[in-house]
Amino acid sequence: MSINWYLAVSATVFCIGAAGVMLKRNPLVILLCLELMLNGANLSLIAFSRMWGNGDGQIFAIIVMVVAACEVTVGLGVIVALHRRRLPIDADELRELQG
Amino acid sequence: MIAAAATSIKAPYIDWAAFSPIVALICGAVIVLLIGLLPGRRVREQIVPGATVLTLLATLGLTIWQWGENTSIISGALAVDRLSLVLNVVFVATGLVTVVMSLRERATVQAGQGEYYTLLLASLAGMAVLVAAQNLVTLFVGIELLSIPLYVLCASELQREKSLEAGLKYLVIGSVGSATLLFGLSFIYGATGSTDFSGIAAALSSKGETIASNPLMLTGLGMAVVGLGFKAAIAPFHQWTPDVYEGAPSPITSFMSVATKAAAFGIFLRFMDVAVIDEALTWQPLLAALAAITIVVGNVGALAQTSVKRILAWSSVAQGGYLLVGIVVSSAAGLEATLYYLVVYVVMNLAAFSVVVARERETTHGDSLSAFAGLGSKRPILAVPMTIAMLSLAGIPATAGFIGKLNLIGASVDGDYAWLGVLIAIGSAISLAYYLRIVAVMWMPDRRGDSPETDRPHGQPEIIGLAIICSAATIFFGIIPSPIYDLVRGAGESIGLL
Repeated sequence: MSINWYLAVSATVFCIGAAGVMLKRNPLVILLCLELMLNGANLSLIAFSRMWGNGDGQIFAIIVMVVAACEVTVGLGVIVALHRRRLPIDADELRELQG
Repeated sequence: MIAAAATSIKAPYIDWAAFSPIVALICGAVIVLLIGLLPGRRVREQIVPGATVLTLLATLGLTIWQWGENTSIISGALAVDRLSLVLNVVFVATGLVTVVMSLRERATVQAGQGEYYTLLLASLAGMAVLVAAQNLVTLFVGIELLSIPLYVLCASELQREKSLEAGLKYLVIGSVGSATLLFGLSFIYGATGSTDFSGIAAALSSKGETIASNPLMLTGLGMAVVGLGFKAAIAPFHQWTPDVYEGAPSPITSFMSVATKAAAFGIFLRFMDVAVIDEALTWQPLLAALAAITIVVGNVGALAQTSVKRILAWSSVAQGGYLLVGIVVSSAAGLEATLYYLVVYVVMNLAAFSVVVARERETTHGDSLSAFAGLGSKRPILAVPMTIAMLSLAGIPATAGFIGKLNLIGASVDGDYAWLGVLIAIGSAISLAYYLRIVAVMWMPDRRGDSPETDRPHGQPEIIGLAIICSAATIFFGIIPSPIYDLVRGAGESIGLL
């Protein structure tokens, strides 16, 4: 099977994630979409690893999984802290800081 | 059987001496976290910062011990050379300043001293890994080890909503940047079959094809530049900067504005000038366009702001544009000019931020411009360092910022990008409008008459000391620039640039 199919799937997953980050309002869903972006990249790393026949890409993907877990943990921590302050869990309502 | 299996694994050789600065930072982070668990107020308020300072001094000592090394360690994952060692010194200095600024900070109490300083050290370790990385995997690990503690530190003032909001915003935007970077890196790996910078360079030159004819490599490089652009706050990926800088506790803002920037530009330099140096003609116009946009957007964006932290945030975007010029020309002179300007930028920006931190605690105006009204007659000891920092950021002669800009313009002319040099000059002219506005507010008589009696001038000699030291250094290096030249000289050759 051509590598293109794997890349197509990985790009699709990445784009779904990117679209979700931009469109979704709930920080929890945004965190989920960030995971999708990272996993899209993971998929392409593993496909390329298979294509080149070396393990570099697979090792990279495993390390990315660890990092992604850390990121989500921190994200959830911040969301819990926001919740304790009874701030709205809605990205549109977070406008204390005007860009 | 387990023993037999264990002996059959051959661990890679690790040059512990060259690796020692990073090991010191990580061990220090663990120790500080454990000390923070001990009971007693004195332990938390004195011993924890003390241990952090000791860790940083140990790292500095080990870095100086390794000075002059030029090796790659751990199977080529990290490079110990002039570039990474100079930046290590910058990180340690910034770390020390941040510890001093944080001593009376509310965030350290709310987040817990042990945790706060551990996260600071972990972030510094990430920076040290990042600027030494010469492998895509180490690059990604470094950038995440740098960012994740910073997300927490931004949100560390748990009782203040702006701080939490800044943390969440930085987390989301930073993670989008990381994911984009990762996707780009996976394409670069796919195009070359190697995660090693030198392997990538070899694969590109052996195929005899240019990046432009290889869509995989082109896409990958583009996305990697976007991802790094998010971290380095390069326009148009800078929108998070003013919000996050304003919301984060001021010592952390100051830390982010200098150390994160230095780390992002450090890896930018190494990646561009080692992995894809043979294709410089392809990516130079792209980066030149980004540099031009960044200089214009940063300087124009700062004009309309009324919060000093926001002005400094936009100014840091503009300064990032100047730094990018040194990367565009991809020569040893350009690299050294960028490194020179980074060192100078750290010194003058820290001077400005220490005054901001001091004023934030003395008045009820926070970081708004009115907190600085009439400062010249009330607190000249703070007004003079701030004035020097502003003039140096604008690039007035006899300050270090002037020499730094001169080097960058010289490198851009030598590298056939004279128009970028002109743009640096134009950008500096625009920047005078907002830097001098701060200076004017400080020295003009306070006409409103209601000279804020809300001032609580309580002793914070350490911050005033910092402001004076950093501004004195700004003047010193503006008149005698040779120490910094000696520091950065050879950084270009150490990674194989002409």
